Amino acid sequence: MTLTIALSKGRIFEETLPLLAAAGITPAENPESSRKLIIDTNLPDVRLVIVRASDVPTYVQYGAADLGIAGRDVLIEHGGAGLYQPLDLNIAKCRMMVAVENGFDYEAAVKQGARLKVATKYPRIAREHFAAKGVHVDIIKLYGSMELAPLVGLADAIVDLVSTGGTLRANNLVAVEHILDISSRLVVNQAALKLKYATIQPVLEAFASAVPA
Amino acid sequence: MMRNWLLPEHIADILPATARQVESAKAAMLERFRTAGYELVLPPLIEYADSLVSEGDSALDLKTFKLDDPFSGRQLGLRADITPQVARIDAHLLAHRTGVTRLCYAGSVVHARPAGLLSSREPLQVGAELYGYAGIEADLEIIGLMLSTLRLVGVNALRLDVGHIAIFRGLAAAAGLGSAQTAELFAILQAKDVGSLRLLVADVAEPYRSAFLALPELYGPASVLERARTRLPSLPEVELGLMQLAAIARHLEGQVELSFDLAELRGDYYHTGLMFAAYAPGWSEALARGGRYDNVGRRFGRARPATGFSLDLRDLVRILPERDPARGIRVAARHLPGAAAEVQRLREAGEIVVIDYLAESAGALNCDRELVPAGEGWQVIPFN
Repeated sequence: MTLTIALSKGRIFEETLPLLAAAGITPAENPESSRKLIIDTNLPDVRLVIVRASDVPTYVQYGAADLGIAGRDVLIEHGGAGLYQPLDLNIAKCRMMVAVENGFDYEAAVKQGARLKVATKYPRIAREHFAAKGVHVDIIKLYGSMELAPLVGLADAIVDLVSTGGTLRANNLVAVEHILDISSRLVVNQAALKLKYATIQPVLEAFASAVPA
Repeated sequence: MMRNWLLPEHIADILPATARQVESAKAAMLERFRTAGYELVLPPLIEYADSLVSEGDSALDLKTFKLDDPFSGRQLGLRADITPQVARIDAHLLAHRTGVTRLCYAGSVVHARPAGLLSSREPLQVGAELYGYAGIEADLEIIGLMLSTLRLVGVNALRLDVGHIAIFRGLAAAAGLGSAQTAELFAILQAKDVGSLRLLVADVAEPYRSAFLALPELYGPASVLERARTRLPSLPEVELGLMQLAAIARHLEGQVELSFDLAELRGDYYHTGLMFAAYAPGWSEALARGGRYDNVGRRFGRARPATGFSLDLRDLVRILPERDPARGIRVAARHLPGAAAEVQRLREAGEIVVIDYLAESAGALNCDRELVPAGEGWQVIPFN
């Protein structure tokens, strides 16, 4: 039975290679250098499809891919409908943080009770976080360069992924609140797990045994 | 530009080719139900909202369109699920029947929110329900009917996935979980979201913590039931659930590809016991689902054992083989009214007879024969 695995380029792909190796799967090409979107592997029945990180849950939900690897951030934004998330792979780790311009009094702004302007690529996570804190916010959805928003007065704060903090420092921003720890999860199409149990289960077990501590 | 042809999101017309498939599949299914002793009922599309949705069933509540009734001043709902309506009929209108009642139905339901990305908001729900017998034979009867109904319309490579919601409920009750935590756990287990599960059950007492952590791994072939016995505490609900699942395995082994999933709880709020779903290759969703929902009729005045299944025929029809329409007989308009009696005779014999006003082609009329004068009478000759 054929198996299609959805992956995104970059860090997730690099850190997934050892897991694939544990399952005996070696990609025939490197997606960073190839322009192909469907990549064959050493196993005739296993192929990889290369999609945008935020599209991975959609491909798996529709059954266009049986398995996928997606960050917890992406899964929360997607909602997770139609997916199993049986394995935290402990890769591509980072943190979802609130950051503001250096010198901005975040605590005072929150206490004051007025609406806070928050720029983010992750509206669902941001809305949940501030709702749990009891703060009214106006969410400004952006697609990139979040760090710019507070500097040009578009927003009071941003909600974004932070791994080393280098980009924040370079733009004179500081992280003021930790929202979630993020790592990548293995996601499985619900019908595929039932229909292709014999094919998927060994891959799942191999991944589980190779998850970094 | 005119835009009034546009339909709302997740609402679609069924055009002739598909309508033929839907109607013939529906007729075949209802005939199968009829010969198995299931009586057809036609509940209303619209009724009081609080009859349609039981208290606490927030999933069905969100799915149900509601409107104010100018006639009674009460709130009405468009049915989002026919099963509770049929349970109402069994509990109240047919309350004089004390034995087993078998009912079936086929009708449109309306969903305020689509069930999935590609789902219609107006599914065509076809199903069968059995009331008044708590034994596992009733569940087997319903499973058998579900599988034979799917095979009847040409879905053959089936996999039956079976779960049991009472096992989860029993564990949650024994662990003393509150309703909010139970609901959260329920959602997480359905996603087999092991990462979130670990956090959520961190404070739950043993042996229940380990049991909840085991549930997402307890899926696969029948051997999973043996593993479940060693990994779940021996509560009465767990014992009974596993016993019933083992009975299902014994009865259905060899008849259908069978798998079990103790974390598969995706039924409706009202389900109480065995739950089952049929899958087929190439489908990212179950084709048909069902399960036991004992005592749902209590809120209508009579608690009864109940089990049943349903499917969305609109969804299912996408994999059914296309059916070419039957070819008809052309009759030129100028031959009427002379041919009227003969036309009526042919139609009564089941033939399609099409009156041709424009001298159209055989393809346009979908006719392979025509009716022409022959001496005193009429005859049917080939037409192409």
